[in-house]
Amino acid sequence: MSNSSTSIADGTASSISNIETTSDTAQLLSHEDASTSNYTQLNRSVPYEDSDDDQFHGSHGIRRRQAQQKIEPGSMNVLSAKYESLDYDTCENHLLLDEERKRGYAFIVWKDIARWFIILLIGIVTALIAFFIDICIEEFSKIKYRELKKSVDKYVLEDKLYIPYLLWVLSNICIVFIGSMLVAYVEPVAAGSGIPQVKCYLNGVKVPRVVRIKTLIVKAVGVITAVVGGLAGGKEGPMIHSGAVVAAGISQGKSTTFNKDFKIFQYFREDHEKRDFVSAGAAAGVSAAFGAPIGGVLFSLEEGTSFWNQALTWRTFFGTVVSTFTLNCALSAYHGRAGELSFPGLLNLGKMEPFPFQFYELPVFMFFGAVGGMLGALWNYINYRLAVFRIRYIGTPWLRVVEACLVAAASATCGFLMMFLLDDCRPLGEDPTKVPLQLFCADGEYNALAAIWFQTPEASVRSFLHDPIGSYKPWSILAFVACYFLLSAWTFGLSVSSGLFIPNLLTGAAWGRMLAIIIQYMLPSNTINPAKYALIGAVFLLGGVVRMTISLTVIIIEFFWQISNALPIIITLVVAKCFFDFFNEGIYDIHIQLAGVPLLPWEPPPLAHNLYASEVMSHPVFTLRTVENVGHIVELLKLVSYNGFPVVDPPLADDVEVTTYKRLRGMILRSQLIVLIQNKLYNENANTTWSNFNVDMNMFRKEYPRFPSIDELDVAEWEKTCTIDLRPFMNPSPYTLPHRASLPRLFRLFRALGLRHLPIVNDVNEVVGMVTRKDIARYRVWRHRGHMGMEELILSSEI
Amino acid sequence: MKGYYWVFPLLLLHINLLKADTSTEEARHANLLLLKSGIGYMVPFPEKCSEILSDFADYASNFTKCSILHARPIRICKNCIEHYTNFHDKYQELLTTVVNGTSCKSVFISRDRLDAILEYHDNIMGIWEKGHCNACYDWKTGQPVLSNETIHFNELFNQTINCIMKYIVPSSNDSKVVCDNCMQSYIKLDNYYKTLSADAIGVDSICMDIVDSMNTTRSIWSKTLNCCKVRRTPEVVFLVSTGIISLLPILYYLVLRYCSPMRALPNVLKQSRFKQSILRSLGRSN
Repeated sequence: MSNSSTSIADGTASSISNIETTSDTAQLLSHEDASTSNYTQLNRSVPYEDSDDDQFHGSHGIRRRQAQQKIEPGSMNVLSAKYESLDYDTCENHLLLDEERKRGYAFIVWKDIARWFIILLIGIVTALIAFFIDICIEEFSKIKYRELKKSVDKYVLEDKLYIPYLLWVLSNICIVFIGSMLVAYVEPVAAGSGIPQVKCYLNGVKVPRVVRIKTLIVKAVGVITAVVGGLAGGKEGPMIHSGAVVAAGISQGKSTTFNKDFKIFQYFREDHEKRDFVSAGAAAGVSAAFGAPIGGVLFSLEEGTSFWNQALTWRTFFGTVVSTFTLNCALSAYHGRAGELSFPGLLNLGKMEPFPFQFYELPVFMFFGAVGGMLGALWNYINYRLAVFRIRYIGTPWLRVVEACLVAAASATCGFLMMFLLDDCRPLGEDPTKVPLQLFCADGEYNALAAIWFQTPEASVRSFLHDPIGSYKPWSILAFVACYFLLSAWTFGLSVSSGLFIPNLLTGAAWGRMLAIIIQYMLPSNTINPAKYALIGAVFLLGGVVRMTISLTVIIIEFFWQISNALPIIITLVVAKCFFDFFNEGIYDIHIQLAGVPLLPWEPPPLAHNLYASEVMSHPVFTLRTVENVGHIVELLKLVSYNGFPVVDPPLADDVEVTTYKRLRGMILRSQLIVLIQNKLYNENANTTWSNFNVDMNMFRKEYPRFPSIDELDVAEWEKTCTIDLRPFMNPSPYTLPHRASLPRLFRLFRALGLRHLPIVNDVNEVVGMVTRKDIARYRVWRHRGHMGMEELILSSEI
Repeated sequence: MKGYYWVFPLLLLHINLLKADTSTEEARHANLLLLKSGIGYMVPFPEKCSEILSDFADYASNFTKCSILHARPIRICKNCIEHYTNFHDKYQELLTTVVNGTSCKSVFISRDRLDAILEYHDNIMGIWEKGHCNACYDWKTGQPVLSNETIHFNELFNQTINCIMKYIVPSSNDSKVVCDNCMQSYIKLDNYYKTLSADAIGVDSICMDIVDSMNTTRSIWSKTLNCCKVRRTPEVVFLVSTGIISLLPILYYLVLRYCSPMRALPNVLKQSRFKQSILRSLGRSN
């Protein structure tokens, strides 16, 4: 227990909920027994009345978890206390006013130009990274599969097929090992597709280290190794994450990792501006991955950005177009067709002829959607169980590396066994194949399954979409679907960076093609276009898994140039989503919930107008006085991990016994306090130290985004007696709500303004409580098999 | 005003009718002209062009006949080369010939929507190109000569086929004799074929005669004669190793599930709420 409290008090792990005491702050440190502070409750294992307290919470039909002391890891109903919020509220202190006065309108124009320039850079750099990843994957895969083919051709005649097999297994393991080691030991946040993390970031949650350059490098290398290593993964999700990192890096004009400050774009060093750029970067990533600029813009819109304005949309669109154009130029030049601009996106599935659909096909599509939704739900369920298992039992990095290597070996085994057991031979030359592997087929024929397995998953999707209808036997497709479905569900969540778009598109395309073949058998007189069904199949499975509706539809439409098929695609997706919602949630949401991220949904919980701020808020609030003692500030910062402190008028009477509320004057952040102490801006040395010190906004921007923790500061004894006047630095007019405000009202304020702290005041503007993101996010609506309700989640600082 | 417009077309029509009545004689004359030249022009076509066209039609039909006759097994490139060169040359002639300032091309090609001549030409050329027939020949001298590769391939091919014909025993199913005896020449042929193109499939650049000969030989060899049995082997070691490797993950998970050390479960964080502190203060005052 004491362990946990120290780790929180470090302030490294961060804000729990910013709760503070009303009692006079000066006394706060002395009366630990009062157990009014969160901290004291943490420190002592409190067996007493808590269970009784919880009974009182069960009102208003809110399902509350059993008041238990311990929780099983891998639960979706726990919020992690580790995640901090981003701060989108502009702190309108004196320094900002000063700055505005000095700079005038010319600065606004300059800033606007700089924004456009940064977006341009983001688009270009994102596209170049995409280009690099794509070329590496393509070239390495080519080498790998060429050598493997040679080996198979040689040893199949000598009854030594295990040699190429082991070679394949070994090469997979070696390549995946590199990527997995990087992810597990260097940067665990780079695991997976990165879309959940980016989604959280855009929603306003600070996921640690998610937009660092180190993450970008690990991500890029990781995705190359994962795809070349033969895992059932794609490069699209990581591309989106890469775009986000690029945006965050470029817009700040400095790199903390390399300890290099370019002294440019200082005015963008705040959460609000940075997040705007990150959303543009993620959009540029989508656009580079799929060649879908509008889909990219909609992705940013759908996945979180709560304050979206027209100017930002326009800039983002510019970024996505620049990104897809740059990638197009680079790839066309690389493929020797410079100027032709025929490679708009990373994922190149070939151009599809627009195919017409008849009205009678709509029910067929809906059927596809229904089955796809169920398959997607099954996929998510399998992946969810695996994720829980991984959380519970596979904790240490080296175990995760071993797991990734085992999956790599299993993928090779799967592929090789399938080629070995299923004799699906096709004559050479009828279908386009890059690596025709003969294996047991007659001379002049190749193994159709080997043709699927001996290429990157992306190329396999292309084959399923474009090959003529007779290219594959239904049985081999069925075996492939089953196998790849399980493999991809197994792969996602490993400690490697790979996405799930391609594997799901692949499984779906295979499945759709199988149905097309079956339909063709049943209706021999009709000519069935397998591409159409393969496409619909791919879309519905993906829609069932990720459950993004708007952006996925637009991405698919742009990607396949299928504007006339928007209707069937939307119908398929809606049906898939309906079926899917009945069972579980989107895979990204599942992973976000497992990580305990306090994500705010789009809408406030329904039927919650009878929940008042007085119940939602954290009650005893730690406050600071307008002119505060340094020693006290340091003690407070060390003691609690909160990030925002209301600044109040000093109390009139110093009465220990009576709990008094004090009038709100402003809000000050932990980061600001730390910078103040770091620069020793005390009242006592105002005339000596300050006189030649430039006190302005750049003081705070210099440290952003990684402010030192309070323990790193060196505060001498004499300083503790000094005082700081907080008034010039605090935000004098924070958003507040009265204690009778309802939960939906709180929610909307948080969601729309991206708030981090919301002081709750009484009728005379005295602070009675504090609401943070976690206080609101803990009310979650659940939907399960046709029922719904609201429950209150529990918090833990150890997951 | 507007209402009067429709009168004008009627008026014009009327005048035209009148005109037609008066010019019956002229029209008859024009008809005669059309009949004479056979084509709808006032001036008859240059004699030369009509001759070229007639020859062109003959060559086209010759080639068509030849290509249909040699479609299976494909020997179009080899047997129809003469017809093809005739046809091709005649077409070039048609394009380039100019008589009295009128080019034949301008008379025959792209004059109408149907454009039958060009269409037939493109069709025939399409067949020829699709089969990569030009790749069979050496065009250095301007005249098509069978290229060295083709000659060499044909030699090897004939050897193999002769060998198979020699040893095959039609009555018995056992083809071991054929397989053993002709293996050498078959492999030689196969390897030579593989060297012919860059991508080892050969669809892109090898002439269709060769591709088809090879395909047939391969099919006879591995399907009719079943000489590829050597490929299908039990591969016990392979199966065992796949078994072991697929067991590893299961083992790994089982070991982790049942043998991993118990970790301390995470604690629930107590949240401080208004009600609790009220209750506590009540409890304290009590």
